[in-house]
Amino acid sequence: MLKITNLHASVEGNSILKGINLEVKAGETHAIMGPNGSGKSTLAQVLAGHDDYEVDKGEVSYLGKDLLEMDVDERACEGVFLAFQYPVELPGVNNTYFLKSALNAQRKYRGESEIDAMEFMDLIGDKIKLLNLKDSLLKRPVNEGFSGGEKKRNEIFQMAVLEPKLALLDETDSGLDIDALRIVAGGVNAMRSKDNATIIVTHYQRLLNYIVPDYVHVLVDGKIISSGDKALALELEEKGYDKIIEESKA
Amino acid sequence: MKALDNFKADFENTLQLSKGLIKEIRSKAFEKFISEKFPTRRDEYWKYSDPSSILKLDLNYNDSGDFKDDSYDIILSNGRIVKTISKFKTGNISDGLDNGDVPKEIFKEEKNPFLNLNNAFAVNGCYLILDSKTKKDVKILNVINNNSDCQAVYPKLVIIAKKNSDSTVFEEVKVVGEGINFVNSVVDIILEDGANLEHIILDDYAKDTYSISNICVKQSKDSNFRSHNFSMGKKLARRDYNIELLGTGANCDLYGLYFVDGENHIDHHTTVEHKKEHCTSNEHYKGILSGKSVGVFNGRIHVHPKAQKTDAIQNNQNLLLTDDAIIHTKPELEIYADDVKCTHGATVGQLDEKALFYLRTRGLNQKEAQGLLMRAYVGEIIDHISNGEIRTRMMNIVLDRLPKGD
Repeated sequence: MLKITNLHASVEGNSILKGINLEVKAGETHAIMGPNGSGKSTLAQVLAGHDDYEVDKGEVSYLGKDLLEMDVDERACEGVFLAFQYPVELPGVNNTYFLKSALNAQRKYRGESEIDAMEFMDLIGDKIKLLNLKDSLLKRPVNEGFSGGEKKRNEIFQMAVLEPKLALLDETDSGLDIDALRIVAGGVNAMRSKDNATIIVTHYQRLLNYIVPDYVHVLVDGKIISSGDKALALELEEKGYDKIIEESKA
Repeated sequence: MKALDNFKADFENTLQLSKGLIKEIRSKAFEKFISEKFPTRRDEYWKYSDPSSILKLDLNYNDSGDFKDDSYDIILSNGRIVKTISKFKTGNISDGLDNGDVPKEIFKEEKNPFLNLNNAFAVNGCYLILDSKTKKDVKILNVINNNSDCQAVYPKLVIIAKKNSDSTVFEEVKVVGEGINFVNSVVDIILEDGANLEHIILDDYAKDTYSISNICVKQSKDSNFRSHNFSMGKKLARRDYNIELLGTGANCDLYGLYFVDGENHIDHHTTVEHKKEHCTSNEHYKGILSGKSVGVFNGRIHVHPKAQKTDAIQNNQNLLLTDDAIIHTKPELEIYADDVKCTHGATVGQLDEKALFYLRTRGLNQKEAQGLLMRAYVGEIIDHISNGEIRTRMMNIVLDRLPKGD
């Protein structure tokens, strides 16, 4: 589904990603772990298409197409979804209206008819239960006045409605208490299927107890220095990043 | 000074149309207008809008022309009533003065030359009485009807909201035909004790129109005035609100949305005179500017010594869609009482890049994402309209007229 080859990216002349290689197949869940400043979030942002980041070298192929050639919204319509580490507040933009506009933009792109208000309410009714979100949040402006946990759950709720092929979860566990973490993980797990893939970017192993990855990669200073299965995450948690970095050099 | 000569000739030619009280009012107003210097950019009050450009025009007074539209209760064509319906107490200004419906005190000599000029040409005009303890919903169309001419028109509307009346007046100003217009319009609004009035005014872009519009509001005890001003850029557009809170417990809410594009111009000067205690005023104006347009917002709050316990809020926000658009925004607070609450704020900015990116990661293209954010931006003003039908209609009109950013 996704093949990243020797990806280099920088922001304002500072090189951040220094040769990432990663292949993700449909049905897989990958976790990317790493210390602060290692480039985890940059990787997520580059894949989503943020133009603050300059791709200096490398290729990203997504479903056989050149992902880096696509506009931000084109990537979204092709099924790439980024759950933000810091979801953006949109004052005055009604949450339901926003989500319906987004879904219809994607349907239009795929040549499907627009969903009407009734069908849409049916669709989101099921999904909102999955994420245990209050109905009242639908009527409020997007993320405005939401608690930290509500914002993160709202991200996964959007994901549940938009049904992406490739989900990028950027530090989705940060700021979540244990109950919210379970709900968010439950939402993500419910969407896992053989046709889609998930990349979880996280600092801590905690989330991976609930969303069990098929592969774990350790990202340090813009490079993946170690890859393994879920045991690697546990090892990281036990030994800390420094030890793993040392071992990788040896 | 072509126009000044034309004003004189037109005034003399039309004076014979008036008799009695209105003739006297017109003569005094014209004398006052002529005796004062015509404003230029050197006047602080006109610093960013140059009214002297009007003087170069070869203007001709016009109050003719007809217009039909069933969706309005009252229609003025070039300032003259061409339609009224009997369920509203209405008529031209001269008749209103004669039958006592319109108090002559409205027509005192003014400092503002354009108020004097409008009074000087009060040949027709229209008054509207909103009866005590009744609920009225009035739709007025103010047509500037041009037959390929260079014309001067002087629409004048007097609205009197009687004690404890509760009304909504929707006023649309529409320029039809081709040619150059100088529109010097005045709306005088009087709210008696406990009156509740919502006034919505809408106009359109008009690149060959010079519009000087004054809305003067006098509020008595416990009256409540809610204003929604939707104004679009013109060759020269200036709209002033002069609100006088003359009785205790009076409240005004002033909401405004202005759009300006191309090389058009728009200027709003608002003044709220807090003259008595326990009055509140709340003002929120938002602008969207594009092209090489110029916008001006000057919001003055004047708290007089007697006006203790005043609560006044003012806020002006501007969205610049292009690098060449200019906005001059200035709050002006003059406070002579010591127990008051006054806040003000002004912002100038672009659409939030983070919000645009967020929307695009959900599948909306750049244009759709911008549209959604602009809809939210204008919604903050439009949502205050209490009449649901007008609110929906205004949202559609406003979305249709959003500047395109080029």
